[in-house]
Amino acid sequence: MPAESPDVAWERLEGVLARVERPARYIDSEWGAIRGRDGAYRAALAYPDTYEIGQANQALAILYQRLNAEEGFAAERVYVPWVDMAAEMRKERIPLFSLESLAPIAGFDLLGITLPYELTYTNVLELLDLCEVPLRAAERTDDHPLVVGGGPCAYNPEPMAPFFDALLIGEGEEAVLDIVRTHREAREEGRERAEVLERLATIPGVYVPSLYDVVSDGAPMNARPPAPDTVVKRAVTDLGEYRPPVCGVVPYMDVVHDRVAIEVLRGCTRGCRFCQAGMVYRPVRERVADDIVREVMEGLACTGYDEVSLTSLSTTDHSQLEEVVRRLTSRLESTGVSVSLPSLRVDAFSVGMARLLAAGGKLPGLTLAPEAGTQRLRDVINKNVTEDDLIDAVSRAFAAGWRRVKLYFMIGLPTETDADIVGIGELVRGVLSAAREAAGPDRGSVRVAVSVSTFVPKAHTPFQWLGQAPLDEILRRQQVLRDAVPRKGVDLSWHDADVSLLEAAMARGGREVASAIEAAWRSGARFDAWTERFDLTLWREAFASAGLDASSIAEREFGEEDVLPWAHISCGVSPDYLWREYERAVSATPTPDCSFDRCTGCEVCRALGIDLVVGGERRGAQ
Amino acid sequence: MAPNEFRMRVAYRKTGRVRFLSHLEVMRALERSVRRSGLPYAVTHGFSPRMKLAFGPALPVGTAALREHFDVWTTRYVPAAEAMRALADATPPELAPHAVAYVAHREPSLGAAVTLAEYDVYMEGKGVTEEAVQRALDTVIGSGRLDVEHKGKQKVFDLSRSLPKEVRVRPTGSGVTATVTTRMGQEGSLRPDMLCTVALSRARCDGAVVRVTRTDTLIEEEEGPRRPL
Ligand code: SF4
Repeated sequence: MPAESPDVAWERLEGVLARVERPARYIDSEWGAIRGRDGAYRAALAYPDTYEIGQANQALAILYQRLNAEEGFAAERVYVPWVDMAAEMRKERIPLFSLESLAPIAGFDLLGITLPYELTYTNVLELLDLCEVPLRAAERTDDHPLVVGGGPCAYNPEPMAPFFDALLIGEGEEAVLDIVRTHREAREEGRERAEVLERLATIPGVYVPSLYDVVSDGAPMNARPPAPDTVVKRAVTDLGEYRPPVCGVVPYMDVVHDRVAIEVLRGCTRGCRFCQAGMVYRPVRERVADDIVREVMEGLACTGYDEVSLTSLSTTDHSQLEEVVRRLTSRLESTGVSVSLPSLRVDAFSVGMARLLAAGGKLPGLTLAPEAGTQRLRDVINKNVTEDDLIDAVSRAFAAGWRRVKLYFMIGLPTETDADIVGIGELVRGVLSAAREAAGPDRGSVRVAVSVSTFVPKAHTPFQWLGQAPLDEILRRQQVLRDAVPRKGVDLSWHDADVSLLEAAMARGGREVASAIEAAWRSGARFDAWTERFDLTLWREAFASAGLDASSIAEREFGEEDVLPWAHISCGVSPDYLWREYERAVSATPTPDCSFDRCTGCEVCRALGIDLVVGGERRGAQ
Repeated sequence: MAPNEFRMRVAYRKTGRVRFLSHLEVMRALERSVRRSGLPYAVTHGFSPRMKLAFGPALPVGTAALREHFDVWTTRYVPAAEAMRALADATPPELAPHAVAYVAHREPSLGAAVTLAEYDVYMEGKGVTEEAVQRALDTVIGSGRLDVEHKGKQKVFDLSRSLPKEVRVRPTGSGVTATVTTRMGQEGSLRPDMLCTVALSRARCDGAVVRVTRTDTLIEEEEGPRRPL
């Protein structure tokens, strides 16, 4: 790869940027971006979507900070160029470059790609191709960067396994340094790629797909030593030991989550049985109030943002949330800075916190997720929310000034019948009337948005053995719902069932699905998460060309004894626990949250040798 | 205007890679710089308070600039040199401030007052010579009007009004640079790159506008044009 100076590279790029949409995606120069680090070892960190979607990703921000703080290492960012830019780059023979130094990615030591959701899989291939790096790990040589994956989708890595040299399962704070140091060391010793990979396979949490052979469908993978039979996720013991990247990159363009984000806790043990995040990010580890307040103030001062979000899977579960909120509202009074909570628990305490945060300013959007329409089905999925909780939360919110609420539901859940779907309609009706009553004379302006997605059974959840409901059936149930939900005052929206089908096929498939993904990319699929670009017909053909059927994979059921395609990956939660939870689901028996009550035996704490970290007593509705 | 507020005017540039930012992106970036700088900025009263900030005429995506301006109102007097330092430390170098001064509250807004803008338009390509481009520009300007289509909209510019000064071409680098002064008016402002693109096609040369830089923005007054700062 001929090394050009950034100035020369920029000159070549300038003409191209004048012809593409939103050139700000490609120009770097943001406040907080780290340039000019002369690390001997260079890592490119990629998000497999456009800049505006990926820029705020917190996991990549953590890795960017960790690597750039380490002597001898440097990290730069890269995103997937939009289709217009990709076409220009191919025409002008400009290989994909890092933002900071405009250097070709193929010349980096490591290319790290996070896998945030299945619909970005073709973008990973697009990214590799634009980098001029062979798509398949088997075709790469010592001259190519080490391609390492990670993120939520790594928990079922198989559909993407052939495209990665290694994948990190779990949290990156410590593991990222283990990986780069091991890589550098092995190379300094003159080791060949195959030997480097063997060494990486000995790092806890690192999965090296080429060392695992598929024996036959339904048989366990054959792990070649030194690779372990099962790769157990990495997790940090105490979040407090790692300062979050408070002074991160401040983008110029309008990006999603364009604000300071401070992670206040990691993990959630509410135990919703459909939720992969709730299982794979266990156990709960809170940051303490003092740290949170200090980081928020520092983040605001060094970024210049006027908004901060206290992020996590369930921020309102933080045992010191009330204290944090009170301290922040008093310190930020009359500065025009707003504090937001990304998701609210369905209860009065949460609404109270949101109200307190909005004191004097604009009320933020109010989003509540009952997920299912009847108590029976909510017990099946372990969503421990009652109709009374919901109505009470809504009444308080509308009495406090809110006029809109958004409700999330899922259809296609295990054991669901039409009665459960009709139940969504009834629940919405109840919410609407409670909201109108609380709004009093302003009742005319009350709106309830209802957003309905299709259930995708995910790996490492109690529903991992189940298949997705067939597409026709989902479409029929959507019609049942449409008839059941009141029209006036309600905005009903859907996630496209076609998209959920593909998501399920990729979330539940094994290594064979990789060929379908590659075929789809070759026939032009990319940015599949962008509605206007999604094409199920193209995907069906791609699966067919690989000798597969997307629907069969999505709908496939497993028995307790079957070897699951992700059986060699462990998030620490025991399969026995998941199966027990599945059985409790079938009998509609709820399981309490271990951070409020006692241990319910998921075994993650023992498997990882870590413990719950909770600063005070957790409160709020159980 | 609150009596205890001060109106500070900042001159800044937009150079290097950030020339590809839109006006909105620049405004947001500088608002964040002000916040980072720790200057005691004033906020608007009302439901959702905002920083009191006002910008001069918009710059299109792709156009660089050497002397742009914004006004920010502060609640406390901060010596200009100190404010300048604080801002410079809190701003990416590509958008760096280069002058700060206080202006009177009664002065008209930058958006209304700035009516003249000076540009350097750099062109390159086969047949792009000083003479050819100058001649083509003179012909286009001599016709008195320019019809352009921008984002599907047809616009007609009266060039005797829109171009208050002679357009001069000089050789630079491996191409030529035309210095164009435009007057902003009712019909919007004439984009100098469009004028030059039309001229290049008239001259039948295989060249293109490569880079546009707004070198100055001016307020027209009876005594003649002056800089906002
Ligand atoms: S092992 Fe027990 S305490 Fe730890 S996360 Fe699982 S259920 Fe909770």
